[in-house]
Amino acid sequence: MDGLQVPMEHVLGLASLLFAMGLTGLMVRRNILFVLMSLEVMLNAGALAFVSAGAHWGQPDGQVVFMLILTVAAAEVSVGLGLVLQVQRRFQTLDVDNATRLRG
Amino acid sequence: MSGVNWWAIAPLLVLSGGAVLLMLLVAARRDTPLSWITTALILAAAALSCLPAREAIPQAVTPLLMADSYALFFTALFAICGLVTVIVSHEYLGERHGENEEFFLLVLLSTLGAVTLAYANHFVALLLGMELMGVSLYALIGYPDKLELPLEAAIKYLVLSAAASITFVFGFALLYAAVGVLDYPGIGAALASADNPVLLASAAMIVAGLGYKLSVVPFHMWTPDVYEGAPAPITGFLAAVSKGAIFAALLRWWMASGLYELPGLLTLVALVAGASMLVGNLLALLQDNIKRVLAYSSIAHMGYLLIVLVACGLVADPHLAKEAAAYYLVAYSLTSLAAFTLLGLLSRASGSKELASLDDLTGLFWRQPGLSLLFTVALLSLAGIPLTAGFVGKFYLFSAGVAGSLWGLLALLVIGSAIGLYYYLRMVYRMTLAGDAQPAAVERPGWPARLTCYGLVLAMLYLGIVPGPLMEILRTIL
Repeated sequence: MDGLQVPMEHVLGLASLLFAMGLTGLMVRRNILFVLMSLEVMLNAGALAFVSAGAHWGQPDGQVVFMLILTVAAAEVSVGLGLVLQVQRRFQTLDVDNATRLRG
Repeated sequence: MSGVNWWAIAPLLVLSGGAVLLMLLVAARRDTPLSWITTALILAAAALSCLPAREAIPQAVTPLLMADSYALFFTALFAICGLVTVIVSHEYLGERHGENEEFFLLVLLSTLGAVTLAYANHFVALLLGMELMGVSLYALIGYPDKLELPLEAAIKYLVLSAAASITFVFGFALLYAAVGVLDYPGIGAALASADNPVLLASAAMIVAGLGYKLSVVPFHMWTPDVYEGAPAPITGFLAAVSKGAIFAALLRWWMASGLYELPGLLTLVALVAGASMLVGNLLALLQDNIKRVLAYSSIAHMGYLLIVLVACGLVADPHLAKEAAAYYLVAYSLTSLAAFTLLGLLSRASGSKELASLDDLTGLFWRQPGLSLLFTVALLSLAGIPLTAGFVGKFYLFSAGVAGSLWGLLALLVIGSAIGLYYYLRMVYRMTLAGDAQPAAVERPGWPARLTCYGLVLAMLYLGIVPGPLMEILRTIL
């Protein structure tokens, strides 16, 4: 087992990179579908960090949390996509810049 | 799992069983009054089931949940707030066309999430509760799907709340990588000896994630927009239950893991608290929309509450701080729920449009004397005027701050309250001005909603005039 293991620091570095990519996408993308995808990337970065930390400590907890995060992501996306449909119907566009009736 | 006394988690079982029941009911028969009454009964049963549950505590139900008097106290509070929301939403939804049954189901699920947070003693329970509450709220905010504002508010809340949860999850993953445990007591024990640079990043991300959820400065930008766009009863629910539950969960973690012993974290929280009190109150001055004023004032209120977390680290006995937080949360939940409920009822009573700008308040006293009077009491309680619950809550916070010698934060609390007094009284003043002479066709809200409002306002006055009994309860259970 120990010969095959990737050091935790490398995986955490990768996860941080993924998280940063997701966050950048969240901030620069204007299309609501891409915003949701960026959120998924960020969430999976967190899940990856949990798995690697669990492997580091030799506990199953990391993978259990990973399963939980998958479930949470599915719930979040299903509601998100429902709202995307409504946005398309109401505003005829998926560009979030068009939805600016609320200040701020 | 053998040896677990199931009574200890009776409220959770009632709520989750009730949610399944209600879903089946809606599938079998679409009937809004029926599902409305069922939801109200389930929430009342959940609040009442805290009484027999007292016999079974304290008890750890799996490592995830901790059933103790703290959990039961907040469970009862959130169930009652959910009940109030359900009762008044029926009035608010009123003649809305389309299918309204799921609205109540979503309130039920969101309350279940809040109750899970009150019980949470482990990262997994914390995440589950937070997401259950949050995801139901996205749908609730966007429920009036024929309108543009709620939809936009829902999208905003979805993106920002999800980003906050994810930041929190990532922060917790780093924490797990550093200490190797996920339950609160274990984290406390491991943090006492840990020294890892990763912890710094993890703390920053966790503070940011929870800060978004509590809408404290500098993570507050979403609050006014979402408050403005959401239907009024849901805004009340968001302000009272969602923030209250996150704070209750945070307070438990703070105590169980002894996080208040980390000086760096204390400084960070103190900075956030000070900024929230100042920025929240100052920006509230500039608003001309009632819901936005209340939104900014809620940012300030969260800042006041954070004083408690700082005080925990500096007083000899953190129990006083815990007591103060619990009292303040009760007072704040009841008050904000009452304020938004009455705002919703007032808007409906004075025509179909939402009461939006401060100008709409002009002369309201002469058109709607009863409801306006109740709304005034709620505003005074938010401002912290004596004889209301808000005053006693603030006084409690103040004494916790004095015990911890937090003079800087206390000064900001006083300044913030003074500014707050101005914008709350400005609203009251607007209502007393002479408005249109002829009263518009007045539509009285139904008796369940009116009764609930009277109940909320009476509770606020009772807690303000006779604070002793609740203090006594808090002292014995916390």
